[in-house]
Amino acid sequence: MKSVPDITRALEKASGQLSEAGFVKAAAFAIVACALAIAQSSPQIHSPQATLPEVHLDADGLTPRPIEQLTGTTIARHYALAWRDLAGALESSRTEGLSEEFIGFAKDRFMQRIGEQKQTGVHVRIVDHGHRLKAVFYSTDGTAMQLLDEAQLEIETFDGNKLIDTQSAPREYMVLMTPGADRWYIRDLEEVPAKSF
Amino acid sequence: MKPTVHRSFARCRRMAGLALLCVLPGWARAAELHLPAAVEAGQAFSVHVEGSGEASFYLFGPDHVVKRTVSLGSDLQIQSSDVRTAGRYQAILCDSSCTAAMFDVKAAQPAHLSFFLHPSRVPVSSPGSIDATAFVFDQYFNLVLTPAAVEFRVTPASGTGFSREVSTRSGVASMRMDSTPHEGRVQVTAVLGKVEEARVIQQVAAEACGLRMKAVASGSLVTLETDPVRDCSGNALPEGTVISFTKIDESGKSTVDTPIKKGVARVQFSVHGRAQISVACGVVLGNEVALNGKL
Amino acid sequence: MKWGLVTFLAVATALLVALAWLQSGGLKQHAMFSAATPEEAVQALMSQIQNRNYQQAYASLDRSSDTDQASFIRDVAGSDGSLRTYSSLQTAEVSPLHGDRDRALVRVRMNWSSAVGSLDDVRDLHVRRDGSVWRVVWPKSALSAVPPQVLPVNYLSWDVIGRNPSQSWGGQEEVDAPKVRITSMNAISRPGRVVILGEVENEDTVPAYLNVNATLLKADGSPIEEEGSFDLISHVLLPKQVSPYRIDFPGVRMDAVKSVRMDARALLVPASADPVIAVSDQAISKDALNRNVLKGALVNQSGRPVNIAQVLAAYYDNFGKVIWVSNGYVDQALMPQVPVPFAVDIPDDIAARLKNYRVIVNHYSQSSH
Repeated sequence: MKSVPDITRALEKASGQLSEAGFVKAAAFAIVACALAIAQSSPQIHSPQATLPEVHLDADGLTPRPIEQLTGTTIARHYALAWRDLAGALESSRTEGLSEEFIGFAKDRFMQRIGEQKQTGVHVRIVDHGHRLKAVFYSTDGTAMQLLDEAQLEIETFDGNKLIDTQSAPREYMVLMTPGADRWYIRDLEEVPAKSF
Repeated sequence: MKPTVHRSFARCRRMAGLALLCVLPGWARAAELHLPAAVEAGQAFSVHVEGSGEASFYLFGPDHVVKRTVSLGSDLQIQSSDVRTAGRYQAILCDSSCTAAMFDVKAAQPAHLSFFLHPSRVPVSSPGSIDATAFVFDQYFNLVLTPAAVEFRVTPASGTGFSREVSTRSGVASMRMDSTPHEGRVQVTAVLGKVEEARVIQQVAAEACGLRMKAVASGSLVTLETDPVRDCSGNALPEGTVISFTKIDESGKSTVDTPIKKGVARVQFSVHGRAQISVACGVVLGNEVALNGKL
Repeated sequence: MKWGLVTFLAVATALLVALAWLQSGGLKQHAMFSAATPEEAVQALMSQIQNRNYQQAYASLDRSSDTDQASFIRDVAGSDGSLRTYSSLQTAEVSPLHGDRDRALVRVRMNWSSAVGSLDDVRDLHVRRDGSVWRVVWPKSALSAVPPQVLPVNYLSWDVIGRNPSQSWGGQEEVDAPKVRITSMNAISRPGRVVILGEVENEDTVPAYLNVNATLLKADGSPIEEEGSFDLISHVLLPKQVSPYRIDFPGVRMDAVKSVRMDARALLVPASADPVIAVSDQAISKDALNRNVLKGALVNQSGRPVNIAQVLAAYYDNFGKVIWVSNGYVDQALMPQVPVPFAVDIPDDIAARLKNYRVIVNHYSQSSH
């Protein structure tokens, strides 16, 4: 019959081995769990459609009508949504999302552009690093707003899978937005020479 | 090997390398694009592309994509239909490698005015109540960003007209004006060169002023009729404007909301005992009539 | 064996016949024609009305009822496209008021379900004993007879021509939405909810279809909830017409609310200034259930029926502030020149504080815009 100390030593040895093995397993499990949790919690970047670009609106001194706070928030949000949808449409050469944020001239032009992209097999990928919007005109009856946008964009142009051009420089746009039932739409979006600001 | 031969061989190697350096760029040089910095919308132009052989040409515009095979060393035609929309364009030429160039397309001459005149109905004698805004576009509906002078000609229904010239900023001209004291149509025409757009607004009477009614008894009934309902400038309130009559007598309170017809509002009540009758138009109160019960 | 089969078949047949009799309302009919108490008589009558067996219901009435079958059916089932014609009797609470050996007075509180919610109709019915059976004496319908006449209709009406969608932006005249203004707004706390009340005026010269919405905001400006006025407003306002509105926020506490953002949205709609509906003999009183009500009568001064009418009442305190808004639907059609009574509930605490009130009428006619 083994003595208590013998049994104790045997148990300690066994528990140590078990502990060591268990520790390793537990550590591995914890690391994997953490990795999975981080992967789940981090923003999923599948494509430009998933995230909204940052838009900062400066409406100080806007004339002839001052902007309401809620209007400013809405404008910035829908402008960001519009650029997200536009980037998605230019990359996928599909027009489904354009009606949500574009109307009138802008919508017609982008629809045509994307249709021709699809025909020619080219597409454009935009990496949007944000927009600085300055409101320059707000009509008295609140039915039209004109803004200047300084945008930080990386634009990659592809013919099929072949990258044919990369541009990365600040771009400036003249924007005309008009209100709809529940949002502001982009009615005109025109890239202008850099000295507009 | 003798040292002299060794040095000669090294010199030749260096010269061959230098020669190769001179020649290779020529063999490896991509086709070049020479584009104008800016063109007017709808203006066709040609571009000379240097090099030899064939290349793929791409033109990316706001509403247009062109892709075609071109022969290098010749002139490339850009059609007017390719550059109708104002904005930044990118041209790319690819043979062994790709080269890109940018150019701007600016709006053409003004050809359209998008003219907004608000509100479509405005009370008379209201300061700064009429807003006129004109957006200047070219024939392709590009916003004309260069300053232009827009004239707003105002023609009221009565009284003398006037005009005001406003210079556009970023394609927009805007002005405000007061409504005149008289009801009726006011036509405002925005003019830029040969382009004209006219809009009409209706000046309507303001709030009722001096609202009065009179009572005519007939048996147990009393007929109430207002004087012609006018605003403080003497303009008649439009037909259909609701006038509220309220009668309080022994049977309780009775109300009738009746519209103006032919300038007046009329209602009939049956009266029991003493009665107090009042009249109102919106939030404007008129006179009160007291009936002592003896009809 | 064969006798067993015969017996079984006879019993089964009797059972099936009894079941069919029960299902066809035989029990109720039996109860109706053999009502032993006044309450049973009224209850049985209500059951028939609930099942829309109007002929049988009429047949069960006492002979002394001063009404013909057509009038009875019109009275209980409605007519002329009134709200009652789209309603169903849900429940009927019967309570005896007083009675003797041969006559009784029974109160019945009918609850009708309709497209606009539940409607109450309280009636006191006389019941008479006929032999061993009690029968309901149905009163004569109080419909006034209006002599035939010609009424010229020359009120203004408005039509709207929409914009041409093919025209470019800014390429044609724009017609603005009607200008409306919220003239008053009052936020009050009621049991279990916050209520926003007030009045809105059509300041324009054209008719407006409007909704009033309110958003309750916290101290940091974030929204708590947004609600609309639904049918507690007169949606179509003619020029210079004023309507009360009430917006309920159930489950919200007043101490959570820092501010309110109001939004009145108006649309241009076709409308007519006809019919004019007079609201006569308004008075605050108690109804048969001892509830505070504002009652009166509606008189359609046009020549066409108004199928469905809704009464909106605003109550003011002695400072002229709107302290409550209540509404009620009239389940009878408003025939030309015929007064139709109405009554709208007033909460007891409001009735104690109110100093003045104003009633307006919403209406729907099948032949109107």
